[in-house]
Amino acid sequence: MRGFRFASLAVTVALGVAGLGVALATAQAPKTGGSLNIMLREDLPQGFALHETATISVAWPAGPCFSNLVLFDPAKKVESVDTIIGELAEKWSWQDNYKNLVFFLRKDVKWHDGKPFSSKDVKFTFDMLREAPEAQAKLRINPRKDWYANVEHVEAADPHTVVFRMKRPQPSLLMMLASGYSPIYAAHIPPAQYRTTCVGTGPFKLKEWRKGEFVDYVKNPDYFVKGRPYLDGLRYVVIVERGTRVAALQAGQLDAAMPGETSKGTMEQLKKAVPQMVFNTVSQSVTDNMIMNVKKPPFDNPKLRLAVSYAIDRRGLIQASHQGGAVLGAAMLPKPYGVWGMPDKDLLALPGYGKADEMKARAKKLLAEVGVTPDKPLKIEMATRAIAIYVDMASFVINELKQVGIDATLKQIETAQWHPMATRGDYQIGANLTGLGTEDPDANFYENYACGSPRNYSQYCSEEIMKLFDRQSQELDPKKRLDQVLAIQKKLEDDAARPILAQRLDYFAYWPHVKGLVPHNNIYNFSRMQDVWRDK
Amino acid sequence: MATRPLGVDEAAALPARPGRPGLGTVLARFCRKKPLGAAGGAIMLLIVLTAIFADQLQTRDPIATDAPHTLARPSETHWLGTDHLGRDIYSRIVHGARISLIVGLASTLLGSVLGGVIGLLSGYVGGKTDLVTQRVMDILQGLPLLVLALVVSAALGPSVENVVIAISIPIIPRAARVIRSSVLSIREMQYVEAARALGLKHLRIAFRHVLPNTIGPFIVLGTAQLGSAILVEAALSFLGVGVPEPYPSWGRMLSVSAAEYAQKAPWLVLFPGIAISLAVFGSNLLGDALRDTLDPRLRGA
Amino acid sequence: MKTYIAQRLGIGLVTLFGMSVVIFLLLRLAPGNIVDILFSTGGYVNPSERAAIERELGLDKPIWAQYLDWIGQMAVGDLGKSYRYDLPAWEIIKPLIPVTLELAALSLVVAVLLGVPTGVISAVRQDTRLDYVLRVFSLAGLSMPSFWLGMVIILGLVSWSGWIPPVTYVRPSENLGLHLIQFILPALAVGYRSSALIMRFTRSSLLEVLREDYVRTGRAKGQTERVVIWHHALKNAILPVVTVIGIEFAFLIGGLVVTEQVFNLPGLARFLVQAISWRDYPIVQNLVMLIAIVVILSNLVVDMLYGILDPRVRYGN
Repeated sequence: MRGFRFASLAVTVALGVAGLGVALATAQAPKTGGSLNIMLREDLPQGFALHETATISVAWPAGPCFSNLVLFDPAKKVESVDTIIGELAEKWSWQDNYKNLVFFLRKDVKWHDGKPFSSKDVKFTFDMLREAPEAQAKLRINPRKDWYANVEHVEAADPHTVVFRMKRPQPSLLMMLASGYSPIYAAHIPPAQYRTTCVGTGPFKLKEWRKGEFVDYVKNPDYFVKGRPYLDGLRYVVIVERGTRVAALQAGQLDAAMPGETSKGTMEQLKKAVPQMVFNTVSQSVTDNMIMNVKKPPFDNPKLRLAVSYAIDRRGLIQASHQGGAVLGAAMLPKPYGVWGMPDKDLLALPGYGKADEMKARAKKLLAEVGVTPDKPLKIEMATRAIAIYVDMASFVINELKQVGIDATLKQIETAQWHPMATRGDYQIGANLTGLGTEDPDANFYENYACGSPRNYSQYCSEEIMKLFDRQSQELDPKKRLDQVLAIQKKLEDDAARPILAQRLDYFAYWPHVKGLVPHNNIYNFSRMQDVWRDK
Repeated sequence: MATRPLGVDEAAALPARPGRPGLGTVLARFCRKKPLGAAGGAIMLLIVLTAIFADQLQTRDPIATDAPHTLARPSETHWLGTDHLGRDIYSRIVHGARISLIVGLASTLLGSVLGGVIGLLSGYVGGKTDLVTQRVMDILQGLPLLVLALVVSAALGPSVENVVIAISIPIIPRAARVIRSSVLSIREMQYVEAARALGLKHLRIAFRHVLPNTIGPFIVLGTAQLGSAILVEAALSFLGVGVPEPYPSWGRMLSVSAAEYAQKAPWLVLFPGIAISLAVFGSNLLGDALRDTLDPRLRGA
Repeated sequence: MKTYIAQRLGIGLVTLFGMSVVIFLLLRLAPGNIVDILFSTGGYVNPSERAAIERELGLDKPIWAQYLDWIGQMAVGDLGKSYRYDLPAWEIIKPLIPVTLELAALSLVVAVLLGVPTGVISAVRQDTRLDYVLRVFSLAGLSMPSFWLGMVIILGLVSWSGWIPPVTYVRPSENLGLHLIQFILPALAVGYRSSALIMRFTRSSLLEVLREDYVRTGRAKGQTERVVIWHHALKNAILPVVTVIGIEFAFLIGGLVVTEQVFNLPGLARFLVQAISWRDYPIVQNLVMLIAIVVILSNLVVDMLYGILDPRVRYGN
């Protein structure tokens, strides 16, 4: 009897384990078919013209249509040069000490209209982007021209080989090319056409763009990765009203959110209503920062700028404006979100990152040195965009400054005038948000802090810092480069031209039947959707 | 509606206004006959007092943020809870009364007075001037209130003054129309004709005889438009083109941020909405009752 | 009658012309233009690129030249191209019209169905408790911001039942049932407000008529109350109600602006708001003119109905 019992137990256990194994195996294997409804917070501003915009409202819905040369691995949350995989490029290699970058392209790729892809398209795209003299087309608006400032020549040696020849070594070029903002345009399509429709090589073909309503994609049967994409279709639904967006996600009419749209408060609400909803805590690669015009009084005085930086309690801001949905960080993403982050002990030593009352005391001392006292407060005007997230941040900062003797009034600037005003330097101090297309110091430093850069709104210009920028850009030893970048970050905060207030987090939400979608620590770089599938 | 011809002496001796009973008696009679109107008046009085004494009534600085206490439930320290920045909702609603009332009253007054003057002159002078003025009024009236206010607001930029101007512009033609029709009917009255026959100057007639009799319709129009003005200001602020920060506006309290946290903190959405509804409700009740009392002819208008 | 219509249409044309100038100037008064917005989506500004785009869109021409261009184009039926979408304006506006029209019509139906009966009851039972209750109820509708009502409805629905009406516009051809469900809530939100006005007018005009001599005569003759009301009173009270319905139709569009946004319906009111913030001159100008034409026509129709229904007005206006 005992033997029988034991045997039956053993059989049961064995069957159970086998069954579990089968269940696990089938549960993990991606299913094909089905489609997803994905959130869009506004209609596409310039259609699918990714090279003419710098907004998530285009990067997110246009992603499925395109392919890059190389891409950040969709499955890896933290982005770095080690997570870069090939898309249109099968293999690549740096030559001549990071002065030439050679790509060997796939041979089986077709554009959505059937024409074959070749190195001609790559040369066309990058000549256009860097506004080369031999460029065959011109972009109406070219926000990332400076990414390719060091590219001397793009050679299409043969139909499946492309060589980027640099003026000087620049290892970061690969990081730029991996960004969601670096797709390949078709050489046979005029760039303006991308504003109304999309012809790419990506996993999904554009089926319909109903203005103001949705964007419909259908599976690309000729996609160059066999067996992908898993989904039959995608629909990006435009919902302008914030409350309605969240309600739609909650009611299941949307399967996934939009990067940057799931704040901590929204997450808590959704979690309560839909306990099975999946949330992913990632950084957005978007910072809250203050821009101070260093060319005009009073912020031409570095002591005053530093005082402002000390006065703003970073942790208080994170609690007040983000309900805790942001983290301390300097110009580059802090660890563990990014690989260039300053270590904690250095971070906490930065102005404004320490204990609130200590920091405010330091601020008051600095202000006293420049003649600002409680009975002689400094009156300034703070500008910000007339959008809730900007205004919230500005309101908090104004309150902080009031406590140290700076009286700021808020001036709200409409979207249409914000960039022109900031570029003209028509302001004293402003509350600003800055997004980064790729997590590389070159992209950040040259765009936001370099002399003469159009997006360097503070007009901060330091020869010394420029030299440091150039040095780290050409540094081939990763460890040495990291040290240099850390030192630069500290210096930038000490010069307080553009103090970083917080690094925003996103709690990207989707229903549990959405699989294979791994949000990255950068809102612009996980929009391809080729590995996403639907479980049920 | 005069029913017998007036003698010359009588016409010249006509007072500008008929004799009135004492204010106290009037109020008492009003409350008895029109309880709804009295209720409306009480509500409006409450709101006006709140607006005037906002600084005294507040429990906290309405623009002070309070990081550790965001989205707090209504409690002893925060009577109506806090918003996502930790600002006290009760204090913001109290100050919002000031903004809503100021913007509502200022724009209504501006629009009604301008419109009234235009209507008065246009109706009295008549002829070509009247025709042209009517066409211009048609142009302003050809657009729904909110649309016109929206475009003007976008054109002028976000500020309290501009919002007042933006909301007053659509009111002008509506006020002009009401006053004008009132003027037209009064103009034909015999005592006015008699006054003219006596050689009284036009302006004198206009202001001494015609104008006072338009006060009734004017008040009625004013209270009706006040409700609309408050609603339009709320809608403009909701859409983001109304009164800017840091002035607390009931409408803006309902926009983006409130909608985002509404399920976690429904008080963010409920209280400002109730405040707006109450203010408009009160002004409508009062306006209805005033209309019934002052000008029965306009009962259907 | 014909001359009357012709006269009104003539006046309407003059009004439209004046309105075109007003809207044209107002728009250009607003700081910033489409080029600024395009650059803001690019996150930077470049003066030479900016000048090039302005030239491309014809924004560098003097204002009067731009105005004449627009009027000239409209005269031949060319509504221009949307600055934002780079497509013909009519192509973009066309699908929006049925949505707004349907919402407006449904709201009006709700308003009449709600307003007329309550107005009648309220008038017949004047000054009773029922009258007061109905008047307060209808006045509440007039006092609530319609966008707030819409927000409360959606948020209440989702937190209570986990369900909201479809957020993507469902065409009647795709699924009639779902389409109606999608429209009924916004129609209720907007219609409730309009019903208040209609209720007040029905009540007050019915009250006036009920006092009239012939009604008293009818009562004296012994006709039942119901006959008296429905036959004589209502027939004559209909007139002002029609007027209000006509006026309300135009005012509705204002309420639709926020309602379409909250319920995510792709109508032209919501689109107008977005186009204004985008400084998409061709779209805004054309939409505003369209709305103005609708308002003028509906006023004309109402006045004509007035003329038909009320013989006193037909001659000698």
